[in-house]
Amino acid sequence: MTNKKANIKRLGLYLLIAFALSLLLIVFRKPMETSARVSFIITQLFSFSPAIACLITRAVTKEGFGDLKLHFNFRGNFRWYLLAFALPLVCFSASMLLPVIISGYGSRLSGFTAKNMLSVIFILMGQSAVVSAGLLGEELGWRGYMNCTMEPLFGTFGTCLAGGIMWGLWHFPIDISNYLGGGGSLSYSMESAFSRLAMLTCFGVFLMWLTKKTDSVFPAVVAHFMFNQSQNALMSLFMESDIPEDADVGKLADVFGYVPMALVAVVFMYLLLRMKKTKTPSV
Amino acid sequence: MTGFVYKELKQNLRYILLTVVSGFIPLIVLIMFRDSGETASDFQKLLEIGLIGGLLLAGGMEMAVLNGDDRRLWAYFVSSTSDGYRGFLRVKYEMIFVMSLLFLTSFTLCEQLITAIAADKGMMVESTTSAIAVPLVFIQFLLRSVDIPLFYRFGAKKGNTIKLISVLAIIVVLFTVLLINIDNFEDVYNSVCKAFTEYTRSPLLPAGAVAALAAYYASYRISCRVYLKGAEKYDK
Repeated sequence: MTNKKANIKRLGLYLLIAFALSLLLIVFRKPMETSARVSFIITQLFSFSPAIACLITRAVTKEGFGDLKLHFNFRGNFRWYLLAFALPLVCFSASMLLPVIISGYGSRLSGFTAKNMLSVIFILMGQSAVVSAGLLGEELGWRGYMNCTMEPLFGTFGTCLAGGIMWGLWHFPIDISNYLGGGGSLSYSMESAFSRLAMLTCFGVFLMWLTKKTDSVFPAVVAHFMFNQSQNALMSLFMESDIPEDADVGKLADVFGYVPMALVAVVFMYLLLRMKKTKTPSV
Repeated sequence: MTGFVYKELKQNLRYILLTVVSGFIPLIVLIMFRDSGETASDFQKLLEIGLIGGLLLAGGMEMAVLNGDDRRLWAYFVSSTSDGYRGFLRVKYEMIFVMSLLFLTSFTLCEQLITAIAADKGMMVESTTSAIAVPLVFIQFLLRSVDIPLFYRFGAKKGNTIKLISVLAIIVVLFTVLLINIDNFEDVYNSVCKAFTEYTRSPLLPAGAVAALAAYYASYRISCRVYLKGAEKYDK
């Protein structure tokens, strides 16, 4: 079997398993509503499905478990861990704070005191060091396996795009399950699903760059954790502030919601392409 | 997989697996005495006791991975490899770090499952045990950052004696502080619980956690410094 065919087979099997497990959220929706135990098991299977898919695919295709990228590789790479920690926080700070400041509510951000900011940074640092480990369930599959298998087939740009879309699509069962359970209209669910897909496609570029740069999935785990958690942390600071409930930042918030992440995607796509060029041996 | 990581995994797989199991101690107890969980507070107590037992067991496993390293010939051998003794120690520190993460993850999963089992029995368990587990894991890091250099500097026997004396001293100090503040114990417990869940509280406790991580790294550097000195005193 040629390398290309082997890669297609691996990728197909991986995606089949990951998506089949994610669909359990829809298939078992009714039992999940009546039993907390079923809900727990299905939710965990969903969360760890990329890692499960990666391990099963590696076992079935006999490619081995040698390059799981489970080394920390701290040596010489610690600054990239710091970047993985800081960049999502900076991005979400920009996308959440800038519209508020531009709309003239800057003086009302009373929750953003030096003490609170320091507390947020220390808590997130502590959490990202120990609590983020659960996200290995996703990163082992998406960055540790799928991207590596996709890149020889679709190239770097194609992998960022297709990989990001796959990652976003894998989250769709959450929205569909919410919609079927009466959590909002179909248009609301679709809007949230597609806005997440756009964000994840952009953010996936940074995660791919981190994984390639450090040859480890752990910086991507930290960055992914920060992507999820920094939004909660900033929201809690907003709750402490005295911004009026009817404050309207309108279209500005929509624009700023995507701009910082799009910028991140452009910058790291450039770096990825440059990394590829420098690695290509000259003839 | 090659190098020290392969060696450590092969040699210590049972300890790593036992660390995962130690996170599930409350669940094992629940399965063994399945009819004993009558009220929500029973489940809460089970989780709290399970956390303490699990932490002690996990701590023991973390130290067990050092067994057999205090041999002079082994020390000379690792020093001669391409990664050197620094690489060897780095893998040890990383593995012990990962074992702590494994314990925390397995305990969190166990807590969620027990809460789900209680919910199916119609009981609402508002557990804070995972929240208290996070600061306790940082305390584990602090303890390891003292244990490991002592082990490598003085060998297993002498190192453990020094550790025992220092741990006893710490326990005496902690009990004294606890007895003085016995009236405020609940407040202290609650503030520790919320230290990693509420973002707008005092930054002191979270800063302590970050300091524990820094201490763990400093401990690695200290171990690197004392390793060869200690090797001269090891048995052959």
